[in-house]
Amino acid sequence: MIVPYLAAIVLALATAYSAVVSFRQKPEGEGPRPSWIFPGRTNRPARMFVGFAMLILVIGLGVRFGTNGRNLSPRSFRFLIPEGYRGWVRVEFEIPGVPALQAERGQIVIKIPPSGLLRTSSPEQYGWARDTYFFYSSAGLRPIPDSGPARLIWGKINGESTGSSGKRKYEEFFVGNEQQYKDQIDHPKPKDSSRDSHSPAAIP
Amino acid sequence: MLPFVLYFVTAVVTGFHVYTLLSLAVYGVPVNLLELLSLLGSFCLLIAAYVSLFRPHAAARLALLACLVMWSFYAPAIAKIVRTRWAMPAAVSQFMGATSKHSFLRPNRA
Repeated sequence: MIVPYLAAIVLALATAYSAVVSFRQKPEGEGPRPSWIFPGRTNRPARMFVGFAMLILVIGLGVRFGTNGRNLSPRSFRFLIPEGYRGWVRVEFEIPGVPALQAERGQIVIKIPPSGLLRTSSPEQYGWARDTYFFYSSAGLRPIPDSGPARLIWGKINGESTGSSGKRKYEEFFVGNEQQYKDQIDHPKPKDSSRDSHSPAAIP
Repeated sequence: MLPFVLYFVTAVVTGFHVYTLLSLAVYGVPVNLLELLSLLGSFCLLIAAYVSLFRPHAAARLALLACLVMWSFYAPAIAKIVRTRWAMPAAVSQFMGATSKHSFLRPNRA
């Protein structure tokens, strides 16, 4: 990471040089003779050429950085959860051999099956993004509040677990009211060894 | 051409550096006001680079002002780096880096 050190060095040089020039030359009257270190005015064609080249370079850098910025910004998730589902939802990412997630209207759609566990080969998205949640049924979609008094989304976490099948990146959250969420934390359901070890527990 | 090259290179290098720091905002890193000031200083230095081609003295004054603005970000940053290098790291902070990232709020379940 040389850029910070380089930035500090060239900034120190520029500061020293500009300070010397500022206090050395006089704006009016006869100043000292131009030299390579303290040059005078350049001619008009040179100014135009440099100005034009600088403009092109600055626009190019702006476009490049702007494109990179857009690529860095994460896409939000749209979670589709079965109507009436209560319990933990878990999404496991970068699992080989399973379908990838599809994007729709600028959001990545995650349709959770009734088991509450979804495995996908898509990578996880990091950064700030506003995820949305919906219950789905044959009647269509119904938004799920994730804030306020009627909130039904709790304890959202993402992370990486290591098990017999290797490392798994996952995202989890709880669907239910506040009391159900607190009950789930205070009195977690005992582990059922017959279930898939990664299968979330649904609350009836 | 020396002032032009010096101001221009400084503007690009410092601008790129601060831009990379600001781009971390998408990962939730809070934006520091001094970073924005430093970016403004880089832009002023870019203008000073062009002005230096026909008004070297005015460009130098503008560049000096821009550099001083940029130092408002770089000076505390350098001071902190120096202090960190010289200070002994706390044992607690070393331990924190190795703890589990995701145990918070997670219930005891499979």
